[in-house]
Amino acid sequence: MAPVKCSHVKEHLSKWLTWPLVGLALIPLGGCGEEFRLFYPKGPVAAAQLKYTMIDVGIMLLIILPTTLMLCLFIWRYGKARKAAYDPDWAHSMTIELLIWGGPIAIVALLAVFTYESVIETNPYDPTVLRAPAGTQVPAQAPLEIDVITTDWQWFFIYPKQHIATIDDLVVPQGRVVRLRMTSTSVTNDFFIPQLAPMIDVMPGMQTRDAFSSDGPGTFTGFSADFSGAGFSWMQFSTRVMSGDGFSSWVAGVQAGQAQPNRGALSYAVFQKLAHPTLNIGAKPGYFASVDTGVFNRAVTDALNGLTYPVPADLTEKMAPDSGPSNQRRSSENGKGS
Amino acid sequence: MAIHQRPATPDSVLWQHEAEAHDDIATRTLGFWLYMMSDALIFAALFAAYGVLDQTTNLAGGPGAHQIVHPLAGFWQTLAVMTSVFAYSLASVAMKMRSQPGVILYITIALVLGLVFIGLELGDFARLIALGDGPDRSGFLSIYFVLIGTHGLHMAFGILWMLVMIVQVARSGFTPSIVARLLNLRMFWQFQASVWVCVYAFVYLRGAF
Amino acid sequence: MPVHLQGPWSFLFGRLTLHAIPYDNVIILFAFTLAAVAGIAIVLPVLYFKKIPYLWREWITTVDHKKIGVMYIIVGLVMMFRGFFDGLMIRTQQVLADGPHSPHFLDASHGYIPPYHFDQIYSSHGTIMILFAVTPILTGLTNVIVPLQVGARDMAFPYMNALSLWLTAMGAALVMVSLFVGDFSDAGWSGLIPLTELPFSPGVGVDYWVWSIQISSIGTTLNAVNMIATIVMMRAPGMTWFRLPVFTWTTLSTNIIGLTAFPVLGVALAMLSCDRYIGTHFFTAGLGGNLMLYTNLFWIWGHPEVYFLVLPAFGIFSEIIPAFSHRPLFGYTTMVAATFAIAGIAWLVWLHHFFTMGAGPGVNTFFSVATMLVGVPTGVKVFNWVFTMYRGRLTFETPMLWCLGGLFMLLAGGLTGMMLAMPAIDYTVHNSVFVVAHFHCMVLLIAYAIFGAVIFWFPKVFGMQLDERSGKLFFWTFSTGSILVFVAMFALGFMGETRRLDYLYDPHMLPLLIIQEIGIGFYGLSVLIFAWMLFVSLRNRNTSLESDPWGTSRTLEWLTRTPVPFYNFAVTPQINARDELDWRRRSGLDLSHPDRFAPIHMPGNTMIPILIGICSFGLGFGMIWRIWWMAGGGLLAIIALVIFRSFQHTPGYMLQPGEIAAMERRTAASGIIAEQPSRPPLMEAGAH
Repeated sequence: MAPVKCSHVKEHLSKWLTWPLVGLALIPLGGCGEEFRLFYPKGPVAAAQLKYTMIDVGIMLLIILPTTLMLCLFIWRYGKARKAAYDPDWAHSMTIELLIWGGPIAIVALLAVFTYESVIETNPYDPTVLRAPAGTQVPAQAPLEIDVITTDWQWFFIYPKQHIATIDDLVVPQGRVVRLRMTSTSVTNDFFIPQLAPMIDVMPGMQTRDAFSSDGPGTFTGFSADFSGAGFSWMQFSTRVMSGDGFSSWVAGVQAGQAQPNRGALSYAVFQKLAHPTLNIGAKPGYFASVDTGVFNRAVTDALNGLTYPVPADLTEKMAPDSGPSNQRRSSENGKGS
Repeated sequence: MAIHQRPATPDSVLWQHEAEAHDDIATRTLGFWLYMMSDALIFAALFAAYGVLDQTTNLAGGPGAHQIVHPLAGFWQTLAVMTSVFAYSLASVAMKMRSQPGVILYITIALVLGLVFIGLELGDFARLIALGDGPDRSGFLSIYFVLIGTHGLHMAFGILWMLVMIVQVARSGFTPSIVARLLNLRMFWQFQASVWVCVYAFVYLRGAF
Repeated sequence: MPVHLQGPWSFLFGRLTLHAIPYDNVIILFAFTLAAVAGIAIVLPVLYFKKIPYLWREWITTVDHKKIGVMYIIVGLVMMFRGFFDGLMIRTQQVLADGPHSPHFLDASHGYIPPYHFDQIYSSHGTIMILFAVTPILTGLTNVIVPLQVGARDMAFPYMNALSLWLTAMGAALVMVSLFVGDFSDAGWSGLIPLTELPFSPGVGVDYWVWSIQISSIGTTLNAVNMIATIVMMRAPGMTWFRLPVFTWTTLSTNIIGLTAFPVLGVALAMLSCDRYIGTHFFTAGLGGNLMLYTNLFWIWGHPEVYFLVLPAFGIFSEIIPAFSHRPLFGYTTMVAATFAIAGIAWLVWLHHFFTMGAGPGVNTFFSVATMLVGVPTGVKVFNWVFTMYRGRLTFETPMLWCLGGLFMLLAGGLTGMMLAMPAIDYTVHNSVFVVAHFHCMVLLIAYAIFGAVIFWFPKVFGMQLDERSGKLFFWTFSTGSILVFVAMFALGFMGETRRLDYLYDPHMLPLLIIQEIGIGFYGLSVLIFAWMLFVSLRNRNTSLESDPWGTSRTLEWLTRTPVPFYNFAVTPQINARDELDWRRRSGLDLSHPDRFAPIHMPGNTMIPILIGICSFGLGFGMIWRIWWMAGGGLLAIIALVIFRSFQHTPGYMLQPGEIAAMERRTAASGIIAEQPSRPPLMEAGAH
């Protein structure tokens, strides 16, 4: 095997350096837009998460950058054609070995401190960033409590204090802490609003919790992040953050049956009908002017007692237009989004 | 070949001309130990699952451990397994004395005791299933049946192995392969006995008291 | 107790009906045509040149570790091609199905693949790439190289080695069959629970997934036993522990992981099978099941599995970088220590795969810091490779390029891995394509190591080098593809794109998706160039190579002739140094050959492993379609074959000194492509 010519090496190296640089450039260039949701948090929890992302990357770059530079330098410096110093025997140095073990250990120790801090601050069950700063006696508004139930493949948001419920539409008042209690009647989903709330699994027969609050009004997409079957890609909900007054009048509107489409009252029997696998193409919302108490708890208990809403075989394997009843629904909705 | 470049180095520095000294039986024994290591992990995972699923929330209205296990019933099984291991040890002694009939006799005793063990276990299973407390009753019963059943399957496999060994010893005596197999089977049998001790402690005693 | 099933069942065919064959699906028809054409293209020449007896005698019934390794690699490369096609389809679907106004073709409401089919594609992509591509290729590489590196004649258990191969191959065959008969799992490569339970996955897809993995992972476990026993027991005289090449060290640690991790996967899948077949409640949400139990068990295997794959890749780096730096590896001892540190910590980090399940701060912090600790030995390894290059004389042959590329991948994967290790960050990117991009960096680094290793060791096995020019073109096209696809994917992760979406809600993602599509185009190009590389190398082959065609290799496998004869070493070498070949070269002894030969005992061929493989395929297929007679028959046949084998007298045969001397003179005659010249009739000759 003939040694590679010097010009070849240069050519390869320049290619090697160009591509990653072009790649790295892509991120900040594209990062201008607000569609890079994680860079544009709209609430304290998401903001804390971004802060720790920056800290983590910063600390890691302390070691990644020099290593990368050293790697590039050595590739360039010690190419055979450059005739640099050559030492065919050197294979051990206590100093270097202490440094290369010690350096990463120090970095990890540093990161561990921030990890613990961040875990406490953004703990979805009780994020301390949502607590009022010590000493300030702001008249704390009681958190808004919402029960979340996922089915195949829709989101039910139940407002127990307001006695209303929605499908695929989460409406919250700005600035107020929102506490979620979540369960599933089907499979595991994952609650996620990139700009507001951290991901937390939503599991059948179990309750999980999540909490967030928002800085200002707006509409933010939320969705399931954990694959749950054929209708998964449509498990979206819009999260609408309103002013306090706007929220109150919205609640009043839903209670009065003005929010369309109004689906009437959500009793557990009605819920059970709706909990059967449904492909909600277009993630169309629905509203319930009243809700029976205990729908959430019964959903949990029934799941524990073995109640499932089985997915018909044709929704899992033969989703061709002519292969089953549930496909009629699908076909009729086929193309509605387009 | 540029022979003239060779310095006067003794050939033995570079090449080992003697026949390879790899001990076949030792290699096979090591291999079997390694297999048992992975087998032990199977049981470790099952015991861990048992620990997780042996909670009141996993009963789903079905019976718990203290209702379905009885230390005395388990004791007879333990006795069967232990005497079977003892019988197999006698077979090992007989093998050292190169006694074909001895080996066959003691392995047969071990085999029969193993069958007794499996019979008792199947009886237990049949009784529970007849009561409607089969593995599909609750999460706890699922792991109960699968943990004990997995051990039972291992025992059944050991019994089949003994059957084969009886035939082989009778046919060919003590060839290196057969000796290696007899040694591995002894390890296997003792290993299953140790697993049973864990089952007895973890399921029977812990469940009863 | 057998569970209630949707759909018909008959005794003879179980759940299998003509409807299970998707002859009306254009995409699958295309895949079938492609597979059929490829199959015919392989089978026809074999028939034409009357090579079936050769294949049967020299390959299918062989117990030679090198041929078995090569077959592992072939299985892996074929499956990797299939996995690539899946990736191509995923990318194309996503670029077509972005935003509510996206076009739709065929049966889909968006893009061209309906959800159920898309879900199968990404599930099989992951399953195949991890378990049926990368795992077999690495197993194959260790099979070929490790016995040579420790100076052994063969593996400790040659027969079991063949058995492992055929079990793995049959698992892969089941995955391929699922393409044309029935469906594959649509519940992700990790088998999302309880989606894999019967109410939510009533078809045969999950069963295909379970049984293909079960069968091949038994093969992997047996291989782990074999490999450890080989390294412990079969080393040549003088090959002390601290003279072992680092690749052998990583193989040892990786197989310790494999030996202890795969049983846990087996248990998890067996419990899932019990749920699906006899209605137990291990992982159901109700009736006393515990679905997090599955998730825990799966990842207790799943995370060590990552290191099971990455450690041999690290070993490959540790062989190739010194060879092309013309220097010994820097920090051998710490390299070994780091390897075992990674293997040890591998067991303590599984929970980071589900930080989002809602565990408390204490638990999350423990697993987070444990995960970060993996970065320490990994960092040490990177530094060691970098310092190996310090004051070296680097040449940039293709294997070296792949290793350097892999190092950059490792740096990118390491940085993002440390981000994911922190729960606060994980909450924002867990289950997003950011994670997907991260682990693709890690798996790509393994793929880079694999390509480097295949090119590096190719001459040793086949007696000819691969073409450097097209090899470099292959590298650059592949790397361009990697950068385009995965840089864009990281960016999409920051946009909040979650995994496994057959439809994307945000039209803003389109530019990045197009970049990814271009990237996968480069991958496609690289596949063609790979084929071209093989063709050119074959056309321009130079088969009169020296023992060490690279001229700078350091370890024992390069000491024997090229191509390596089927008996490995004519005389077992005596080991004098850590880098034995380098030591001999610098002492002027590398051209020294043994002057006399002793008889060599060789194991005979056997057809039992392939038969057991076929029976295990029957067992799997019968269980999947619930054709009980076929499953039961397969199981009984396996047991019968094992017992039959134990009654067989298998003495092998002796290779006489005269024959060895003759073959040592005609180098190519004893390579693995050649028909072995002096093979006596099977299982007859030889006294023992």
